[in-house]
Amino acid sequence: MPDWKKEIRERLERLRFGSTREAEIVEELAQYLEDCYEELLAGGMTKENALRKTLDQLDESDLLARELKKIERPVSDEPVVLGARRINLWSDLLRDLRFGMRMLLKGKGFTIVAVLSLALGIGANTALFSVADAVLLRTLPVSEPERLVLFEWQAGLTFRTSGMSGTSITSNPPDTRGLSLFRYEVFEKMRQTRAAAPESPLSDFFAFAPIQEVNAVVGDQAEIIKGQVVSGGYYAGLSVQPVFGHLITDEDDKRGAAPVVVLSHQFWQERFGADPAVIGQQLKLNKESFTIIGVTPPTFTGTLQVGYYPAATVPIACEPLLLGERSRLGTANKPGSWWLNLMGRLKPGATYVQARDSLNGAFQTVSLEVMPPPLKANQPAQLEPKDYPRLVAQSGSRGMLDRRRAYAPTIYGLFIVVALVLLIACANVANLLLARAAMRSAEISVRLAVGAGRWRLVRQLLTESVLLAVLGGAVGVLFAFWGKSALVALTDKVTGILPSDVDLSMNWRVLAFTLAVSLLTGVLFGLAPAWRATSQDLATSLKQSRRTTGAMSRLGKGLIVAQVALSLLLLVGAGLFIRTLYNLQRVNLGFNQENLLLFKLQPQQDGYEDERLLQFYQQLFARLDDRPGVRAATFGRIPLIAKDICCWGDSFLLPGENEMTAAQHVTYRQTARENYFATMEIPLLRGRGFTAQDDQRAPRIAIVNQTFAREFFPDEDALGKRVTFIYGKREVEIEIVGVVADTKYEEQREEFKPLLYTPWQQEGGEIGEMYFALRTAGEPTALAATVRQVVRELDSNLPVTEVITQTARVQATLGEERLSARFLSFFGALALLLAAIGLSGVLAYSVAQRTNEIGIRMALGAQATNVLRLIVWQGMRLVLLGLCVGALIGYGLKRLLASQYFAEDAWQRRMAEQLYGVTGTDPLTLFVIATVLTLVALGACWLPARKAAQVDPLEALRYE
Amino acid sequence: MLDRDLKRGSTEMLIMAMVEDRPRHGYEIGKLIEQRSQGVLQFHIASLYPLLARLEKRGLIKGRWVEKPGERRRRFYTLTAAGRKILAEQRRTWKDFFAALDLVAGINPA
Repeated sequence: MPDWKKEIRERLERLRFGSTREAEIVEELAQYLEDCYEELLAGGMTKENALRKTLDQLDESDLLARELKKIERPVSDEPVVLGARRINLWSDLLRDLRFGMRMLLKGKGFTIVAVLSLALGIGANTALFSVADAVLLRTLPVSEPERLVLFEWQAGLTFRTSGMSGTSITSNPPDTRGLSLFRYEVFEKMRQTRAAAPESPLSDFFAFAPIQEVNAVVGDQAEIIKGQVVSGGYYAGLSVQPVFGHLITDEDDKRGAAPVVVLSHQFWQERFGADPAVIGQQLKLNKESFTIIGVTPPTFTGTLQVGYYPAATVPIACEPLLLGERSRLGTANKPGSWWLNLMGRLKPGATYVQARDSLNGAFQTVSLEVMPPPLKANQPAQLEPKDYPRLVAQSGSRGMLDRRRAYAPTIYGLFIVVALVLLIACANVANLLLARAAMRSAEISVRLAVGAGRWRLVRQLLTESVLLAVLGGAVGVLFAFWGKSALVALTDKVTGILPSDVDLSMNWRVLAFTLAVSLLTGVLFGLAPAWRATSQDLATSLKQSRRTTGAMSRLGKGLIVAQVALSLLLLVGAGLFIRTLYNLQRVNLGFNQENLLLFKLQPQQDGYEDERLLQFYQQLFARLDDRPGVRAATFGRIPLIAKDICCWGDSFLLPGENEMTAAQHVTYRQTARENYFATMEIPLLRGRGFTAQDDQRAPRIAIVNQTFAREFFPDEDALGKRVTFIYGKREVEIEIVGVVADTKYEEQREEFKPLLYTPWQQEGGEIGEMYFALRTAGEPTALAATVRQVVRELDSNLPVTEVITQTARVQATLGEERLSARFLSFFGALALLLAAIGLSGVLAYSVAQRTNEIGIRMALGAQATNVLRLIVWQGMRLVLLGLCVGALIGYGLKRLLASQYFAEDAWQRRMAEQLYGVTGTDPLTLFVIATVLTLVALGACWLPARKAAQVDPLEALRYE
Repeated sequence: MLDRDLKRGSTEMLIMAMVEDRPRHGYEIGKLIEQRSQGVLQFHIASLYPLLARLEKRGLIKGRWVEKPGERRRRFYTLTAAGRKILAEQRRTWKDFFAALDLVAGINPA
């Protein structure tokens, strides 16, 4: 008898159906051929002829194969794996995925809970990562940003500069200070040195600096914009190409060159309607005319701090034109300050060290040349060489970094929180999977019994969990879209906890991060359950019925303990921040913050000076004071409780002191209208207040706060004492005529600090911008439109900025604390919810497992309450253990943050210092949080326990 | 198109009719059609099996492995409920078709 199967197989080789199906087809066809053959034999044909005639039928096997192929799917959906070794990984994976999908669809409840909890965790991480990416990771959108070098410097403490030297991001050796800004002369010398050296490692070298507030007039609309100045080599060095026109070059940056300005793409779009015809037009900046020569590309937002995107850029040579007397280039009477950021571009293959060494000599020489003479007797005229300033070179690929660094603690802190939430979600899903694996143990042991490899099964189960995680990740990206807007919404523009205006668009880095997190979590929560599920002892588990398989696995218990512990940490964190916020909101500020409307005016940028400026303020005051709804109007130079935009400090001499000998005394300053104290409701304690007669002709006077009086005149009366301020070469002696109560100056957290008020008219040329404060009868914001109207009537070119109520400003200063409190509360609650679901689910599963046992107990006389107690205790034991573990971890964390392990200004330290009026181990907070957690856990245990107590003993004993 | 559908439709109907009363295996079905058509309609393996497979896929017939003592197992096909309905419908269609042919061209299939 011929081997029909072999004949068929030879002809149907290319079918590649699943093995089982293929075997069937071959068998059936073989049968057919055999029938045919035997019939032919029976009909009297010779064997040879019969064989040939039978096989002739297979001649059209091409057709057969093709037709069959159309009908059968190439990969059959037979149940997974019967131990057959396979070579085709890809089809295995597809099969696993399909099977996994079916399993997930089968348990819809489980899948929804799992995907949602993972999505929350992954979504939060994605949202935060996109913030971290934008703030901390993204490089400048210029070609080859990694070749950019940012220069800073370090010097011994005795090295002197003339003002404004910036902060450094590098850590400094002891007894030195690190600074980031340079004086113009120093830059110029370094630039020449580089240009003169053909072998210099730098192909470009340039400088730039922000000009915080520029009054720009477009059409008839005035507004305050962010500006910057750059050296001629700036755009060439960064290799930025204009969208229109051309950009600033060395020719534009010469003294006496015609003033030109380059617009940012955004400013050009918003204020010029993206009109290409602006090139060649004039733009008024601080009253001066600048010719618009070009527009930068939309992606390029400059090299300054993240969130500082200059709208207008002018050459350094035009800086005196913009700032006049305040020019930082220096004037005849005043040395220039250290104000420029320096950057260079490395030639291919050059290193930071080479760049530093090539310019260090020039830097040192000219820095020492421009060092001002000593002011104090204890300052040496000549520096020791160890204190000489030294150049530092580092990566400039991300622009300026110190501001970014300031955001780091918030971002990292939030990251810890969302990572914890993701961990809890993982633990939750792992626990659910464990319970499911136990329910599927029958299926799994059968598969193992028929020869499926363990690794193969683990892979199948892992595929399922990774599938879950990827689903979670996909939903998570959706959550992240919301989450980002929520994060930005949580951010106050005024204080900028996270920089506003950063570009949070999804990019491949963010999506790659999400995918990586999803895959990782999938493996993380899937591995243990898969391993456990497949490690069962075959012989016993096949024999065992469900009633005797164990209750809760040790792994499951451990996961519950971990969830409770992590939830405790998050909730305690939330509690501490809520208390911090509460404490800070109740801080006595020293003045009445209710019903105050604030706004800012900078008429000096519009050309107001001296007498005209004084008159303008008088007129505006008179008009505002008269308005219905305004109980009183006043103004002062500094807004109160306005972290980041406030602060004016001066050093001064006490009576009898000499500039060369005295230690420095420093005080905060304020200059204000005479009715300031009455309007702000700051009580005058002694002496007299200011009057309208305290003008430039009158003797110079001051009022100080209590802390000033106590600190500088501890044993005597401050009234009548004279202090001396030194402005350049001018000495100003001021008599203290009054003492007022203390107020907080910069923020709620600070101790009261010395503060000295002067009458505004006596500041003369020094006064410029002013913050007006209106004490209103009703809702302050209702007057905002009136304010703009009144100012426009006086001068339509004058923008009114920073219109805000004092309470809003106070709240904004607490933005960071509020963000932490909200964030931790939200995620703490979420973590608690997840933990409760996990606890309840695991207990419910355990109850189902123990139904039989419970039935026996009840049959033997156990009461419902006994059963209730049994189950609740089973869960609460774990909760209590979790609380203890959480408390221990928290204590450890606190010790760690307080230890010397972290540098003084490391983000971990700064994060821990956010608490106010409460310690990390505050007993009340701990007690309240532990109680809340325990109650929720009791509820979570109660549901399955009640179900257990309702078990009918008869039913339960029959239960199988 | 019509031709192909007609042909396929007719052969499918033939197969379904063969397994209407009792289960038969593939070879038997082919033989039976050949006998009853007195040799006019012949099937061989390449034309028959794809048809069987397709009918089974569509749920009109169902194949089952049957073992008898002393014999190799064979796959027997039976008509499913859905198949029964389709067969009845097709019979009616063909009857109408032949009636129409007869009316027009004077062909009497009987």
